[in-house]
Amino acid sequence: MKLNFSGNRVLITGGTCDLAVTLAKLTAETGLYPILTARTEKGLADIDEVMKPFSGKFETALLDFADQSTLVPLFDQIKDDLDYMVDFAHTDYERLVASADPDASYKYFEENLAFRSALISRSARTMLKKKRGRMVYISSSAAISPNPGQGFYASAKLASEALYKNIGLELGSRGITTVSLRPGYINAGRGKDFINKNEKSLFSRIPIKRALGNKEVAETILFFLSDSATGFNAVEITFDGGLSAGK
Amino acid sequence: MDILQTIQEELAELLDIEKEEITPDAYMVRDLDAESIDLLELAVAINASFGIDVNDDEIFLRLLREFLEEAKDAGKDAGDFLEEKYRFLTRERIDDMLNDLQGGPVLKVNDLISYVSWKLENK
Repeated sequence: MKLNFSGNRVLITGGTCDLAVTLAKLTAETGLYPILTARTEKGLADIDEVMKPFSGKFETALLDFADQSTLVPLFDQIKDDLDYMVDFAHTDYERLVASADPDASYKYFEENLAFRSALISRSARTMLKKKRGRMVYISSSAAISPNPGQGFYASAKLASEALYKNIGLELGSRGITTVSLRPGYINAGRGKDFINKNEKSLFSRIPIKRALGNKEVAETILFFLSDSATGFNAVEITFDGGLSAGK
Repeated sequence: MDILQTIQEELAELLDIEKEEITPDAYMVRDLDAESIDLLELAVAINASFGIDVNDDEIFLRLLREFLEEAKDAGKDAGDFLEEKYRFLTRERIDDMLNDLQGGPVLKVNDLISYVSWKLENK
């Protein structure tokens, strides 16, 4: 099936993670123009290195969720021209809720939630000018089934899903739609080590008996960006190989 | 660029009404039936047309009633308090608004024009 895209420019936040890079390559191959963000200059250089074969077909931009002042320059750089956003960016703060440092918790939600709401608002306003836009938020199956220690990660994911859901509700009539994806275990990035260590017990619980692949997830995201998928709006979709379906 | 004319054109398209209905004295909600999503689109259009940052709470007087409560709690004069908060409005306009609160949302097309003029002057 050939996927059609009404727009061209894709903002990919958290652009240094394996999955974001895989998606960026896929979007560039598809003829879209990815704009990958990173929190640091080093991150931008790393992206440039891995995206070298796609020179001229992508760009990078600084966006630090811990620094509000990086939001305006980002939108200046992309000249307020945006059709899609895929939001991967997320930091981790693994603690039992009752043992968390209060200052660290405030900072965590400021970065992962308050900043994100500003980013979503700015992106939505940019898309409103074209009366078209699509946002895909990369959530996690941990949003609804966290492990002990994942309380902050899960609650920030769940709250972020709610922001995206409301954008889809509020602006769907103006051509801007959203979807949140909840992937399960992915054999990439920070999940890779965990999967390697726990492969046997983990796979025995997943009906498809394997973790999701990087490319497989990127292709799924690409489909959800496409015109064919805009009927999926203001909704969360789990794809975890069936892990959460059973007991 | 004529501010009234630009706002009239944007609003006529957004609200699907005739430009002639959009007079400076028209109330945005009471007369023109503008809804919150229309105001959001208008803010985006004003930003694009005039190249100014638009604060939705400010331009659409969204915090007006909260400000009045705040002034009351602090024992301050409502008019003086609003004059500080809405520096783009004249004292005369603020007094008009204070006498008009019972009628519903007080925002008028002219308030938007005042906001845009003020932002352009202070750019």
